[in-house]
Amino acid sequence: MLAALAAEVGDFVRPPIDWHAAAPELTLLAFGVLLTLMDIVWLERGRKWAPALASIGLLATMVPIITLAVDGADRSMFGGAFVVDKYALIMKAVFILAGYIVVLISSNYISEGDYWENEYYGLLLSSILGMILMASARDLITIFIALELLSIPAYMLATWRKRDLKSNEAGLKYYLMGVFASAILLYGMSLLYGASGTTLLVDLNESISASDSPSAIVVMGIIFVIVGFAFKVSAVPFHTWAPDTYEGAPTPVTAFLSVASKAAGFVALMNMLFVGFIGRDDVYEPMIFALAAVSMTVGNLIALRQTNIVRMLAYSGVAQAGYMLAPLAVASDVPDSALAATVSYLVIYAVMNLGAFAVVIAVARKTRSAEIDDYRGLFHYAPGLTVAMTIFLFALAGIPPLGGWWAKFRIMGAVIEANTVSGVVLGVFVAVNSVIALYYYARIGAKMWADEAPDGDLTPVRVPASLKSALVLTVAATIVFGVLPGLVGDVTKVSLLAGVGG
Amino acid sequence: MSDYLRSYLTVGIFGLVGVALVGVFLGLGRILRPDHPNLAKNEAYESGVEPTGDMWSQANIRYYVFALLFVMFDVEAVFIFPWAARLEAYEVFGLIEMAIFIFILLLGLIYAWRKGVLKWV
Repeated sequence: MLAALAAEVGDFVRPPIDWHAAAPELTLLAFGVLLTLMDIVWLERGRKWAPALASIGLLATMVPIITLAVDGADRSMFGGAFVVDKYALIMKAVFILAGYIVVLISSNYISEGDYWENEYYGLLLSSILGMILMASARDLITIFIALELLSIPAYMLATWRKRDLKSNEAGLKYYLMGVFASAILLYGMSLLYGASGTTLLVDLNESISASDSPSAIVVMGIIFVIVGFAFKVSAVPFHTWAPDTYEGAPTPVTAFLSVASKAAGFVALMNMLFVGFIGRDDVYEPMIFALAAVSMTVGNLIALRQTNIVRMLAYSGVAQAGYMLAPLAVASDVPDSALAATVSYLVIYAVMNLGAFAVVIAVARKTRSAEIDDYRGLFHYAPGLTVAMTIFLFALAGIPPLGGWWAKFRIMGAVIEANTVSGVVLGVFVAVNSVIALYYYARIGAKMWADEAPDGDLTPVRVPASLKSALVLTVAATIVFGVLPGLVGDVTKVSLLAGVGG
Repeated sequence: MSDYLRSYLTVGIFGLVGVALVGVFLGLGRILRPDHPNLAKNEAYESGVEPTGDMWSQANIRYYVFALLFVMFDVEAVFIFPWAARLEAYEVFGLIEMAIFIFILLLGLIYAWRKGVLKWV
């Protein structure tokens, strides 16, 4: 029967493959395979080489990304399902560099905690592979494959502290919520496919925006797809897994989830909104508006009452997701500046949040806790870490001249430029929430600088070299992005609308 | 109501009729049949081997790994069957592609083997 079916399909034509465009994915895949091979051959003896090999793999993946960026041409494969343009390259670079910093902050944590090491980096690389694939995906099925490829390793990484009940809870909650979200997303995608008869986002947009008012199926499909990704970016009311997962997971993994995984969710959401749904702004814009406004407010208000710094950063991450969603709610009015605003926020957020988690890991090496009260008097025994943490916290709050200020400025610029009622209302939300957020960020600052250390214990924190280099990189980037905002501004002048489909 | 939704109505009616039929027949049987339960009659297999132990027996967790490895080859087969039916058209390109695919999957099996997962201790 298969042969009969095949005869009907006709001759197989090998799809033309642009090896240069696929080179980043292939390089990373090759290094993932190499990592597994090393584990097979050397077993425990390979342990100490695993982080080195993983970081070499990530840096090697940057090479084709840079050559593609220098080349500058938009490339498209498989009928437009896989697109390499400036936007995709920027996001790929963000994922790779975020992954590199996560490797730097993981290496001591994982080896000293006596956790499985080769597997840790193997899973990390495959999750990043899913992310860089997501940046290029312009097709429902490719997006779903990329989403699963990045999520499934992340579920396992969240439970990496195998004998710790909290870590098990973290992984289980993340897994159940993630699978639930995937199911909803897939259902939405199936509805959209049923309504339009295509999985390609460009064709999907053409098909669903043909009529004046959307059909019920299209509305349901769009809502389900957005809900599916809202879980991934932890927007209220789909954020409930985030605090527990962040608290229980190993801290480097938390950093990875809160930055790379969240950014991947945003990339997928932007691909869907700007390419697939842009003609149906009457359906998605009110929904994104509500998600953005509620995420900012609820995230910030709950963050006020947290006593654990990781949980606080989790809720602050929920609020940050709200800021990043805000420009997407005016996506059809000012598509270019909305996209650029969210992309620049993602770039800057990645740097400052990774930095904050690096400090949390460094301090926990001494205090073995993430309670905010244990940060009292940090300045007296770890002045360097205190200065770094202060920079990251104020950057997250959006104080000039640090990176976060420019990110918020871009967001405000985009929503105001839209000049619609919803845009202005969102601008007010962002402004009010920035003030609320400043309180809990500054509270930690005050504890670190002004209070006495608990029990007068002034033994200094020993920061290993890899963690130190991660801190230096993130501090430098946070300051540079704030002082020279043109740098991010020029890079993120991207458009998803032109050159799509190619 | 659109034609599209109307065809789901048919599915709904069909489902309802199905549930109703089962209900009617089981209900009729309950009214008509004589009812004299005894111990031997209530056993799961009236004429079979005597059942022993509790129904809530635990399966050994070690079977789980084998189930996982099975899934790996199951998925592999799903891709290999259609590929094999069209191999002539795919030519050398297809052969190399599938070799890479199987190599990566095989890596998983070798990994499990090397880590001693396949040993029944």
